[in-house]
Amino acid sequence: MSRHITVSGVGLDVEERGEGRPLLFLHPGEGLQPNRPWIDELARNHRVIAPNHPGFGGSALPDWFGTVDDMAYLYLDLIRELKLDKVLLVGACFGGWIAVEMAVRTTAPFAGLLLSAPLGIKVGGVLDRDITDMHGIARSEFLKRAWADPKNGEIDYTALPDTELAGIARGRESLALFGWKPYMHNPRLRRWLHRIDIPTRLIWGDQDGIVSPAYGEGWCREIQGATLETIADAGHYPHWEQPEAFAARVAAFSATL
Amino acid sequence: MRTWYFSEMAYHPAWKEGIERGSLRVNFPNQAVDPVEAGKLLNRYLDEFRLCDEVGIDIMVNEHHSTATCMTVSVPMALAVIARETKKSRLLTLGNPIANRPDPVRVAEEMAWLDCLSGGRLEMGLVKGAPYEIAPANSNPARLMRRYWEAHDLILKALSTHDGPFSWEGEYYHYRNVNIWPRPIQQPHPPVWMTGMSVDTGTLAAERGHVVGTLLSGGLAKPMYEAYRKRARELGWEAGPDRFAYAAIIGVGSTREEGLRRADQIADYVRTAPLVYEAFTNPPGYNSLAANVAILKNGPRANRIVTDRNGDQIDHRKATVQQFMDTETVFAGTPDDVFNQLKAFNARMGGVGHLLFFGQGGFLSHQDAMSNISLFGKEVAPRLLELGAPETAAAE
Repeated sequence: MSRHITVSGVGLDVEERGEGRPLLFLHPGEGLQPNRPWIDELARNHRVIAPNHPGFGGSALPDWFGTVDDMAYLYLDLIRELKLDKVLLVGACFGGWIAVEMAVRTTAPFAGLLLSAPLGIKVGGVLDRDITDMHGIARSEFLKRAWADPKNGEIDYTALPDTELAGIARGRESLALFGWKPYMHNPRLRRWLHRIDIPTRLIWGDQDGIVSPAYGEGWCREIQGATLETIADAGHYPHWEQPEAFAARVAAFSATL
Repeated sequence: MRTWYFSEMAYHPAWKEGIERGSLRVNFPNQAVDPVEAGKLLNRYLDEFRLCDEVGIDIMVNEHHSTATCMTVSVPMALAVIARETKKSRLLTLGNPIANRPDPVRVAEEMAWLDCLSGGRLEMGLVKGAPYEIAPANSNPARLMRRYWEAHDLILKALSTHDGPFSWEGEYYHYRNVNIWPRPIQQPHPPVWMTGMSVDTGTLAAERGHVVGTLLSGGLAKPMYEAYRKRARELGWEAGPDRFAYAAIIGVGSTREEGLRRADQIADYVRTAPLVYEAFTNPPGYNSLAANVAILKNGPRANRIVTDRNGDQIDHRKATVQQFMDTETVFAGTPDDVFNQLKAFNARMGGVGHLLFFGQGGFLSHQDAMSNISLFGKEVAPRLLELGAPETAAAE
């Protein structure tokens, strides 16, 4: 089911499917792509709540809205608005960054945190590029780095209606707005990760060419008790490329909470 | 029609290598530059600018970054030299890429300083900048124009406020004590120019009364000029030709053949300028949503298709001089030829008050460039000054 909810004055297009423990799924920079199988896979064991971020898909970007901080407060308000409790917070890529910005503010509404190849922190030195410059490479090169099999990321734009193309174009612009500089991270966030006091699991595609598993180990060093698992034959978007394996890992983690 | 000479001070010795690599910008390593050779070229180009003052035409300078196509990295730096070497030419920055500049007050200071140095000869272009300028500046392409307008408003306020300091707490810029010294000679501020390629830009420039300039094709320029005139009329004033500028490559020679050869060599600039690695051609947010939908559907050049007067598409990377002349990208031949072409162009556009004369581009030799400037300045520019709005446009 798809519905429109207004939270704190911001209109959100939200996909909601399944029953069980609430699972807030925060999508990556590439968008939610609700017609692909991963939401249904996750909805086998959970009540999945998957908003299109402001500026992505069908959610408009308000004029005043423009930082990941805004995003974190908005989704904390969404949880309160929907009266959700013991939520499994799941974030992929850019959505992982948002999830962590929420969790360092409060973990009260959450049972656990699952991050799939999150962006958001700086681990290396000034000359180290922790996060591939996705905007400094051609689209074909991006596909090669972000997917184990680049064909899995291809979209036939000529087959899509203009409204959907506009959603994609707006999403790309919004990702730039939120993450252009500093590039896809908050330089101060790493110092606050110790505030995350709930079970945390990191999932990494074993062929991720955007952020490496070594970057994932950097996250594990900062979040107490966090563990990292890899999924085979997946790049930067394991939920997209291996939706069944991804959902199985989510379900297994959820069962421990 | 006034004439403003400009060249981008190209480092053409590296073009061959850049073309082979498929990118002349951003990711073309600067080991391809011989800095001693670069210094010689810069001095040569500055001599060419100085000649403009002698032959009675005005001067324009622009800037680009990380590229073999343009060594002018700072408009105020180049104009500081030129202002000292000239006496009469008006001096146009087209422009200051203000949305890529972290400090608009610094821009206002530099412009005021140049206005003082030149005795009030400055004209001040405040531009959005090309898409491939986003990467070298690492400025956010999303909401770029929102940042542009805030910088624009702050710069004009800094130039025109004399009972300061004033404070500015905006979305992008924050100052508590803005009070620039010196202040500009021209009050309230030097004339402002903008650039663009769209109807929207025409409308927005009209709302402020700024001069608006464009380039590449008459087919794209005309709707923008018309939008400007329409908006000005709605606001109760009539926009004359002096509100419109057009940049074109111009080759003049003592024979038609010589003029065409010069134009062909300068046109290499237009053929090479689009050569940049794909990732830097369309940063997200730089182009409008409609343009991006078209690009997703039809590929990266979908929003930059230029057509000639018959509606045929022209590929700027491979076009001949004749094709460029058909799109009004190039005007070339003897002084009479060029004058007649520009007179006809002026009539088609409804009156264009400023010609931005691209008279040196890469491989054109110093001798040819000097002769091109000199012939144009002596034999074409004075006749262009007589051209005003064509009668048909005035009767509209």
